[in-house]
Amino acid sequence: MDPRGLKGRSPFPFEMIGVMVSLSAGSEEVLAEAGYLANIFGARLLLIQMGKQTTKLQTAFDTIYERTGTNIQEAARVWLEEMTVKALLTLCKEHSVDLLILETIQREGVLRYYLGSLARGISRAAKCSLLLLTEPKVGGTTFRKIIVSGVSHPKTSLTLGTAVYFAKQVGAHAIAIVTELDQPTLSMATADMSTVDTLTNLKQQIVKDEIERIHGIVECCHPEGLKITEEAIFGRLGYTIRQYARNYGADLLVINSPDAKYGIIDRIFTHDMEYILEDLPCNVLIVHSRNSRH
Amino acid sequence: MSKLTPNDFAIFLLAISTMLILSRAGAELGKKFGLPIVTAEIVVGVILGPTLLGNIAPHIYNRLFPFASNAGVSLALDSLFSLAVIMLLFVAGLELQLSQVLRQGKLAVFTGLGSMAAPFLSGFVVAWFVPQWFGIDRSNQFQFAMFFGTAMSISALPVIARILLDLNIFRTEIGRVVIASAILNDLAGWLLFSFILSIWGPEKGITDISHTIIYILAFSVFMLVIGRIVLNRILPWIQSNLSWPGGVLSLSLGTCLLCAAFTEYIHIHAIFGAFIAGVAIGDSVHLEEKARDIMHQFVTNFFAPLFFVSIGLRVDFIQHFNVLIVVIVLVVAFTGKVFGATLGARLAGMTRRSALAVGFGLNARGAVEIILGSLALDAGLITQPIFVALVIMALVTSITSAPLMLYFMQREQEEE
Repeated sequence: MDPRGLKGRSPFPFEMIGVMVSLSAGSEEVLAEAGYLANIFGARLLLIQMGKQTTKLQTAFDTIYERTGTNIQEAARVWLEEMTVKALLTLCKEHSVDLLILETIQREGVLRYYLGSLARGISRAAKCSLLLLTEPKVGGTTFRKIIVSGVSHPKTSLTLGTAVYFAKQVGAHAIAIVTELDQPTLSMATADMSTVDTLTNLKQQIVKDEIERIHGIVECCHPEGLKITEEAIFGRLGYTIRQYARNYGADLLVINSPDAKYGIIDRIFTHDMEYILEDLPCNVLIVHSRNSRH
Repeated sequence: MSKLTPNDFAIFLLAISTMLILSRAGAELGKKFGLPIVTAEIVVGVILGPTLLGNIAPHIYNRLFPFASNAGVSLALDSLFSLAVIMLLFVAGLELQLSQVLRQGKLAVFTGLGSMAAPFLSGFVVAWFVPQWFGIDRSNQFQFAMFFGTAMSISALPVIARILLDLNIFRTEIGRVVIASAILNDLAGWLLFSFILSIWGPEKGITDISHTIIYILAFSVFMLVIGRIVLNRILPWIQSNLSWPGGVLSLSLGTCLLCAAFTEYIHIHAIFGAFIAGVAIGDSVHLEEKARDIMHQFVTNFFAPLFFVSIGLRVDFIQHFNVLIVVIVLVVAFTGKVFGATLGARLAGMTRRSALAVGFGLNARGAVEIILGSLALDAGLITQPIFVALVIMALVTSITSAPLMLYFMQREQEEE
């Protein structure tokens, strides 16, 4: 079930990129994006053909491959009859997918969000990295403005490493690393601080410490050739970076995968990644660390 | 309608200003010695109250705080103190972020459950089997045991947050686990305490108890699910269309008092409504930090000193000091909490020393314990000696928490 020994393996480089192929609107654009990225990363494409295997459906898919210029000779093709999160994740695991590319809408309706769509469902449970594209293009999306979450977490160094790798491959020149500092908890702890100056100095020290921490991680990621900016902002984790990415006009937001599988309770009491899934500010890359060490 | 005479009103205002000014002076002085503000406020209450001023200069004490001789002033002060406790619980709710518990997952759940279950059980068992040690009548054994268990299981989130900040471990794994577990402790503790207060009193049958449980759960679920969704829709509108910060403050404080009135009406204590309203509003990502800060500062610097000074005004700490009760309370509080939290953290995978640091971090009871004890004293659930012991325990656990945490963290580092 783990043919390439994925557990403990670095989340990059991307050697196998998975993409779902269906007859629904937007499928061609995602396929084109996947082909474009596979080419850039030198990865093999796994075409996950959605539906029951029939000659008619295969012909329809072949037409799509032809229109999008997909090199099916070098790609692997598999059928997926059952359109469930579990079935898709099992398939990805069996085929050692490093990156799964999905099209998703920016914001889902309340009912759909709480019930959980396939794309959002996979985001909450995936064991491989995911690229959620809000507006896939036949010509390929340009990733110029990349933001990475630098939240204080053991996974962040791998996420940052993946972001640097991604940025270099797609030809981006800059990465903004943004770390969020939990404001409400800090406010509670500083409620009886002596003076305004004490509080200001404390906040400045926290920001300084965070920037230094990020700086230390960045240096290990070989960011040569990329302009790296680091920023620490106070606010609610997940929500603040979402707003930041939107205001910044980011093309891609890179975040850690959740530590545990998210469920309905995480949607009711929204936190961290759920704030981003609730209303995607741009394309999102969720990096799964696979418990590896940087 | 009876009104306060101009003279009574002047005494009422003088009493409040004396409490505010002296508690601030005490707090600033206490800070120089590293004491929590609440300690200084209680000490000021002890000085102004029957313990010292009432003994040394009873005529000044009776003139300034005429609880016994002037019903009008006494009622006005009591009403103000009741409002203060409601506002304190509202702010306690504002500080709880359920998302922090979900973020920490298994570690927070295990530690949170351990740090609640063990102290609750140890407190309950001691109070159930030997109520005579506390001077409690056997007929009130169950309610007292429930209260004592709850009092042992609660933690003081603001004190803990401050300790973590001072130790510079606020954003470490230990810090995050301690905060998340304290949130769980507080939430469960106040739910349980509201239940105990609701079932306390004569002629409470099984039906009353089951109704109380249903009301508490239904109100909590309604406010934390439906209420939060509604607030998340209203808050952004208010912030962009009404005066700032007046609009948000009016909505928040109005919702707090409305919920408090509702829970009081359905025979659950008003503090419960205020607390749950605080959780629902505080959890909203649309509540701007400035608005949260204004509410926090107003309550911390106006209502909190009044409330904590009033504790010293109502109780004679020397007369009601009972060594046996104090020792029992301290032993049960330390062993139950530290053992439970450490065990929970260990089961979730923490190292022994880190788990012990978490245990001592969660041991701080601070202001939360004092509020709990004060409400129980008002309700007649406990006696003054037990209350005095709880106050001492709250102060001792808060003061010892930081050095003990530090000790185990240093030992952990040495081992590494």
